[in-house]
Amino acid sequence: MEAWVQKFTEANNQDPEIQAHGKYFTCSYLLDMAEHTFVVRVVAGTIAQISVDPGPIEVPYQFAIRASAQTWREFGKPVPAPMYHGIWAATFQRDMKLEGDVLVLMQNLRCMTRQIELLRSTGAPV
Amino acid sequence: MSKISPVTGHYVTVDVDGLEYKVFYLENGSGQPLVCQHTAGAHNHQWRGLLEDPQITAEYRVIAYDLPRHGKSDPPENTEWWTEEYQLSADHFANFIVALCDALELVDPIFMGSSFGGNVALQLAHRFPERFDAVIPVEGADYSPGFYLDWWQHPHANAAQVCGSGTWDLMAPQSPEADRWKTWFYYTQGSEAFKGDLHFYSVDHDLRGKLDEIQTDKCAVVLMTGEYDYLTTPEDGARTASQIPGAEFIEMKAIGHFPMSENYPVFRGYLVQALDLIRSKTRARV
Repeated sequence: MEAWVQKFTEANNQDPEIQAHGKYFTCSYLLDMAEHTFVVRVVAGTIAQISVDPGPIEVPYQFAIRASAQTWREFGKPVPAPMYHGIWAATFQRDMKLEGDVLVLMQNLRCMTRQIELLRSTGAPV
Repeated sequence: MSKISPVTGHYVTVDVDGLEYKVFYLENGSGQPLVCQHTAGAHNHQWRGLLEDPQITAEYRVIAYDLPRHGKSDPPENTEWWTEEYQLSADHFANFIVALCDALELVDPIFMGSSFGGNVALQLAHRFPERFDAVIPVEGADYSPGFYLDWWQHPHANAAQVCGSGTWDLMAPQSPEADRWKTWFYYTQGSEAFKGDLHFYSVDHDLRGKLDEIQTDKCAVVLMTGEYDYLTTPEDGARTASQIPGAEFIEMKAIGHFPMSENYPVFRGYLVQALDLIRSKTRARV
């Protein structure tokens, strides 16, 4: 798990697109993968911290992206199958849920979309 | 070799439903008119690959217009449009396309549109089968609810990026990155029209229970849908086609909701199939 946290953090922090466009990409969100949960805290395009399986009300976040482990495993393939190729696709057609302050997600949608796509190179941690 | 593209641009004045529009269109080729509608919130550059396709433009006059309020086609010339909320209706959209074809004096055109253009293609086949030789609804269906969202125009978010990245997942991961980014870029330019367009796409367009009224002996119908389209899925396209007597359906692999724009070489193979089907059907009419 620590290896994935490091890999995902590095992938984000070295990603040319996010670094070029992430000046105001600051938010925290929950990745709920059923078998594990993660709170990702991003500051100015850099992942400052990923909290793994935080306890109840331990780590605050603004919005949540929830789906089954199987859905996230599909996201983690280099070329995902149809409907597992993005958070909109999986929310409209599969079991993904976008919850909490979705406005914050929309305010950061470009960089968030790219950040989630990084799972295609790092793989999913479940 | 000249670096000047054979594609040319023109404006034509179109009067419809009491509104006057100056409509911009790109065209290339000669032969049967193939009139192309871009997707909601976009403009005619989505058809850039088709417009410069030497084989297809040898047989067809490809015309790709900007719907009013998109690209270089301004909102109406004769109303205070800024005092009203833009909500595109099925009546006005269909009437506009017929008025455009009349203004261009097109004979037996084929109409092709994607997404809301696919839906209006079905509306045209239903309403005006005598005016069109055939329609090719791309990523279209009888009904497509769920996308008339406030997020496209929310004042607390960057609407350009929400429109661009909110439609990103409609494209297939296999499509070339540069073409997906061009499509994203078009979407950043159309955020003030996108939501109003989707009023037609997700609210006013509803042909459920009416598909069997479409007369494909007068206006052939070939639907095409990409497998990565999460809005109008291949199942939606197949269901729609199955309820139109004589309609054909083609599922397009490894491509999404903006096929002509996100991956023209893949789209082209399917389009040639569709045009061949139309040719065989219209020849059988004579």
